[in-house]
Formats: sequence, structure tokens, C-alpha cells
Amino acid sequence: MTVIDILTRVDSICKKYDKYDVDKQREANVSGDDAFARLYGAFETQIETALEKAELVTKEKNRASAVAMNAEIRRTKARLSEEVPKLQRLAVKRVKGLTTEELAARNDLVLALPARIEAIPDGTAGGPKATSAWAPSTASRPDIKFDSDGRFDDDYFQESHESSQFRQEYEMRKIKQEQGLDMISEGLDALKNMASDMNEELDRQVPLMDEIDSKVDRATSDLKNTNVRLKDTVNQLRSSRNFCIDIVLLCIVLGIAAYLYK
Amino acid sequence: MSSDPEKMMSKADKMTKLTLTRWSADWRGATELYEQAANGFRASNKYERAKVALEKASQGQVMQSSPWDAAKHMESAAALAQKLSIWNEVADFYRKASELYVESGRAQPASDALGKAARALEEVKPEDAIQLYTDACEILEEDGRDQMAFDLYRACASVYIKLEKFADAATFFLRLGVAADKCDATNSQCKAYLSAIIVYLYGHDLKQAEKCYNDCSQIDAFLKSDQNRTASRLLTAYNEGDIEEIKKVACSSTVSNLDHAIIKLARKLPTGDVTAVQMNAGDDLDEDDLT
Repeated sequence: MTVIDILTRVDSICKKYDKYDVDKQREANVSGDDAFARLYGAFETQIETALEKAELVTKEKNRASAVAMNAEIRRTKARLSEEVPKLQRLAVKRVKGLTTEELAARNDLVLALPARIEAIPDGTAGGPKATSAWAPSTASRPDIKFDSDGRFDDDYFQESHESSQFRQEYEMRKIKQEQGLDMISEGLDALKNMASDMNEELDRQVPLMDEIDSKVDRATSDLKNTNVRLKDTVNQLRSSRNFCIDIVLLCIVLGIAAYLYK
Repeated sequence: MSSDPEKMMSKADKMTKLTLTRWSADWRGATELYEQAANGFRASNKYERAKVALEKASQGQVMQSSPWDAAKHMESAAALAQKLSIWNEVADFYRKASELYVESGRAQPASDALGKAARALEEVKPEDAIQLYTDACEILEEDGRDQMAFDLYRACASVYIKLEKFADAATFFLRLGVAADKCDATNSQCKAYLSAIIVYLYGHDLKQAEKCYNDCSQIDAFLKSDQNRTASRLLTAYNEGDIEEIKKVACSSTVSNLDHAIIKLARKLPTGDVTAVQMNAGDDLDEDDLT
């Protein structure tokens, strides 16, 4: 458990058992005779609960329960607003043991109360603002200002020097861009044409390649055949017996010739 | 063997003549001698004699039933005739060579031979050239090799353009389109159609051009192509009489990808046809005039 968890738990436990804290009660009840203070204290607690409920509403996902809670908040607000005049009367009453400053302060507090009650969010917070949207815009949105003050004479729509210069520059840049794009498009056209011509040429050459392939295959097989036959023939010629006989006969002939010419 | 080509020639001639002592002509020996004689003549730049020798050699090969060799000899003879500028002989020799090639079952060399003939005769006898081109294309189409025919069609059409027979030229472009369609060569097909339309326009024939355009628009491949857009722009410019637009279209990149001859025509387009443009404008006035 983290420190924060401990702290929150301690806080909620203390709050729960506050009513058993004698010292605190005695402090709170110092103003027990003071009707104003009592009533004011009640007001405060009610406003606080209403604020808590409003916070819950914002976290609430279920529309129906949110609506119900908003309605409850509105009821509380209405009740409080009704009781504000009573509090005001009490505020003005003199109580013994109270200074004039405190009296004045109490008055101020009471005057601030209606505002605080209204400020409690109850789901219709946008209402009063929306109705005043039709009023002149300066009324509801003070941060947006119109310099013109409603003067729409001839001069108003005249181009200023800066704006016409800007427009000119824009036009020139646009023209340059168009020129660039034209050049690119021409280049792309040429490329496309070349590419499709290449495509057709390759298509044209595919059957030719097939023919070459088959012809070369035939030629290789012929060559292989011929080679084998040649090999056989040469082997036959070279067969050793015939060769030896040839050499022997040759020697005999040479011998005879030598003998004849000796 | 004697190195004198003349002697070889006479010897070979003797070999082929049937006399009392010779009952069957010795074509093989004769052909060999003829070939050697031809080489000798060529070496000594006696082209006329070489040509004759080659003719006879080719005939010898025919007698020996080897049309391929015979065709080759004929082609060489024709090349020599071309050098000597004997034009009718050129045509004859190439035709014979092509026939022999067809006999040996080789369509491509056959049409090549006719193509060479046509190219040789383009300047001198254009009609003959056209005939040769057409025959070459037919040979290829019969053999199913349409793609090789593209170049021939283009060359033929350019000859027609030189002769200023624009309708025929356009017809040839359309035939190119058909051939391209058979081979799925869409780019060539669309270029062919665009060229045909431009040729019609150059020939002052706006109606024909429009008809041609409508016909071609039936074809999917053309409809989806750049050439289609260019053609429609051109025709609308013509119908509106907008010379500036015509010039702009003629200088566009699509037109610049076509054949050289067509580009020249396209650049000249509006100037070749200003009267027609004005006539169009006149027609509009007549229609509006209800009196």
C-alpha cells in the first residue's frame, strides 16, 4: 500500500468519526448560539455535497443516472436559493460578542452565496449562455473584437498594398509551379511511350527466342550424335591390331626397298 | 581450279549444256564454279558479270533442290543489281528470292527480301515499292507473325504520304491497327489510329476523320488511351475553328511520339487546312440564319 493510499484512508476514517471528536465539536459549536453561523455552516455543507455530486456526475457514464443526479443537484440549488434571504436577515441581526467587521464580513459572505450556488454545475450550465448568443457577439465573447466597428464603406474592401503584392507573388509562384509540372509531365509522357514500345518489342522477340531455343537444341543434339560417331570411327581406325599390322608391313616394305637400293 | 573467273564461268556453262558426250548436266560442279566465279568477279569489281554468275549459281541450286541457297544467291544478285541501279532487275530478283524462301518454308526472310526491294525502290518507283510492301505484309500475316509487319506498314504508309495519297495512307494505318489488335499491341494500335485521323485531317477530309474517330472509339483499347483524348481535342478544335488549339495539340507530347512523317504533317496541320476551318464557321452562320 502506498503512502497516498494510507493518507486517504486515514482522512476518510477521521471524517467518518469526526462526530466523536469532542474537541472539534466543541469548537464547531462555539457558535452554537449563533443562528446565522449555524445556518451558514449548514449551507456550506450542502453546497459541498452538491459540488461532490456534480463531480460524480461528470464521471458518471450511465446517462439516466447522470440525469437523475443533475436533477437532484438542481433541486438542492433551488432550495438553497430559497433560503438565502433568511440567511441574509440573520446576517444583519446583531449578535452579542460580534464585532462590526465580522458583521460586514458576514454580509459579504451572504451576498457571495447566490453566486456560489449558481456556480454548482448541474448539466444545464450552458443554458443561460446559449440564450444570450443571439445578442451582439461582443456581449458573450469579450475576447473577440471586430476592428471595423460596423463601418463597411468603400474603402473597407479595397486591397491594401501588402495584399496585392502577396497576390502577385502567389500568382507568379503558381505559374512557375505549373511550368515545372508541365516539364515533368512531358518527360513522363516520353518515358511512358518508350516503355510501351520496349514492351511491344520484347513481346515481338519472345517467339523468336523460342525458335532460336529449339533450333539450337536440335543443333546440339546433332553435334552430339556426330561426335559419338566420330569417336567410334576414330576408335576403329586406331584399333591396335590394325595399327601394328600397318607398322609391320611398312617396315617390311622399307626393308625391301633398302635391300633393292643397296 | 583456275583463278580466272571467266574461265570458270565458261567451264561451268559447258558443264550444264547437254551435248552428245554429256547426257546429264552436272549441276553440283557447275554451281560450285559459278559461286567461285561470282566471288572472283566481285573481288575485281566486275559487278555485272558477278550478277550473272550469281543468277546462274542460284539456278543451279534450284536444280539441286536447295531453295534456301538459291534464294540466298538471288538476294546477293539483287543487291548487286541495286548497286548497278538496274531497277526492274532488282524487283525481279528480290521477288524470286522471296518465292524461294517461301518454298523453303521461311516466311520471315521472304518478307525481308521484299522489304529490302521496296526500300530500294522507294525513291525510284514508289508504286512498285508499295506493291512490294503489301506483298511482304501479306506473307507475314499468312504466317501469323503480325508484329513484324508493323514496320512494313509504317514504311508503306509513309510512301503513300510522300505520294500525297492520303486516303491510302490512312487505310494502311488502319490495317496496322488491325494487326496490332491481333497481337494486343495496344500502344502501337492507338498510335496507328491517331496517325490515321491526322492523315485524314491533313487531306482536308474532316468528315472522314470524324468517321474514323467514331469507328475507332468502338475499340476499348483506343477509348482508354491518351491518343483518344488527343484525337478528340483535335477534332473539337477543328469543329470550333480554333487554330491556336490545333497548333497546341499538334505540339503535344502524344503527337510527338508518332512517326516522323506524321509529326511533320501534324505540325503543318492548320496551315494546310485554313479554308476548311473557315467553311465550318460559315456553316454555323447558315444554320443560325433562319430567313
